[in-house]
Amino acid sequence: MSVFSTIVSQIFNGLQSGSVYALVALGYSMVYGIIMLLNFAHGDIIMVGAYIVWVLMSLLTLPPVIGTVAAVVGCTLLGIIIEKVAYAPLRKSPRLSLLITAIGVSFFLENIAQLVMGAGSKPMPTIIKGTNIEIGDAHISFVAIVTIIVSVITMLLLTLLVQKTKMGKAMRAVSEDMDSAKLMGININRTISFTFAVGSALAGIAAVLYSCAYPQASPTMGSMLGLKAFVAAVLGGIGSIPGAMIGGFAIGLLEAFVSAAGLSVWKDGVVFTILIIVLIVKPTGIMGRTMSEKV
Amino acid sequence: MLEVNNINVYYGPIHAIKDISFEVKTGETVALIGANGAGKSTVLKTMSGLLRSKTGSIVFDGKDIKKAEAHKIVRSGLAQVPEGRRIFLQMTVLENLEMGAYTQKAVSAEELENIFTLFPRLKERRKQIAGTLSGGEQQMLAMGRALMSKPKLLMLDEPSMGLAPLFVEQIFEIIKSLNRAGTTILLVEQNAGKALEIADRAYVLETGEITLSGTGKELSQSDEVRKAYLGG
Repeated sequence: MSVFSTIVSQIFNGLQSGSVYALVALGYSMVYGIIMLLNFAHGDIIMVGAYIVWVLMSLLTLPPVIGTVAAVVGCTLLGIIIEKVAYAPLRKSPRLSLLITAIGVSFFLENIAQLVMGAGSKPMPTIIKGTNIEIGDAHISFVAIVTIIVSVITMLLLTLLVQKTKMGKAMRAVSEDMDSAKLMGININRTISFTFAVGSALAGIAAVLYSCAYPQASPTMGSMLGLKAFVAAVLGGIGSIPGAMIGGFAIGLLEAFVSAAGLSVWKDGVVFTILIIVLIVKPTGIMGRTMSEKV
Repeated sequence: MLEVNNINVYYGPIHAIKDISFEVKTGETVALIGANGAGKSTVLKTMSGLLRSKTGSIVFDGKDIKKAEAHKIVRSGLAQVPEGRRIFLQMTVLENLEMGAYTQKAVSAEELENIFTLFPRLKERRKQIAGTLSGGEQQMLAMGRALMSKPKLLMLDEPSMGLAPLFVEQIFEIIKSLNRAGTTILLVEQNAGKALEIADRAYVLETGEITLSGTGKELSQSDEVRKAYLGG
């Protein structure tokens, strides 16, 4: 393979995993933006999504469309339930209590999955089928192209939702100033629920796309994915929606090129080094801004 | 229109509002004056449902709203311009106004035009990010935003705070014209002189208690008020 084709195929590899990181990072960032919570259970929602696909497609041999829709709906509901049951009662508690609860929810989901599905991993069925594409002598997998296109469309829709709709504007208002949003007549609880629903729906989409790339479901599959998406969210500027997208793609590309350079063992280490560097050099991330209040 | 009876508000162990009662009649401008920390903002926050009173009643437009959720209180026609403006700095001027109309089914073009007539500056800057406005413009935006909910009673918390004298004049003129146009006003101010000038009636709040009340004129001539709040 020529250098050119290596670069091309690594770019597509990077964009593929970057798309998934970006979708997951968006969920992290939106939730952080609205209630200042690092929702460490977010990665585990993806794991649940993957099991939903496995149960429906492998166990019940239903078609991929049903598996996909069920995963997205299931993750959305799970996100709403987690918020209502675990986080809403702590609305007035210190942020540390929320954080600890999120870690608790994460362990809970992982252990429930282990109990119900067993500790071993389940082979995922083929969800997306199609012919690969050749650019020069570089092979681009069909799954990679679908993943990138689906993610980009999802992100465009999300941007429209947040920028143009009444609910999206309410989300931005709540994330900027909760009390002031209340004075506008915005129902805070409903807005927070909606944010969790949207973030979790993105996690559901990510679950399907991730299962196409790494066709295995296991109880802990969400934790490393979740952590990397968290790094992506921090790199982009946590709380920022375009930041999460940029951060996700950046982490995906970085991983692909580290692997291509023959350092795939170091892949995870490099990602977490990025986290440390960002936190030291620019804790607000690429798109994060520190707003100074005008008097 | 608003009848407050024996409310008590606490911040943890601190007893911030001590058994106060007051009323605002339809069409009036009522001022609540007092020093920093007297509890003026706490009173407004309690009216809006951001804080809770442990006792008494808050009757607005015939209904007890003491236990109502904040977002429902706005819907019933009680809007607040909070202290320090609290506009959404990262949203545009127009989006801020749209948020003000959140309780309405749709943003009324007519109401928007009214507000742009009242504050022509906001029209010029409607696409600008609110954080780039000057302090006076931000105050105007905060007022315009509250008006978008078409309130029956508008509560203003320190609208003159931190503004240049020229802007202060302008803001008070606008409050007067809003009242003339039919909006009932409850005004909280440290600038007692200005507030008493435009108020039909006023209450003096001292460390969580109402110590004096009367018409704007009476209070501005009272010795106690002159000594404590009007600089002799």
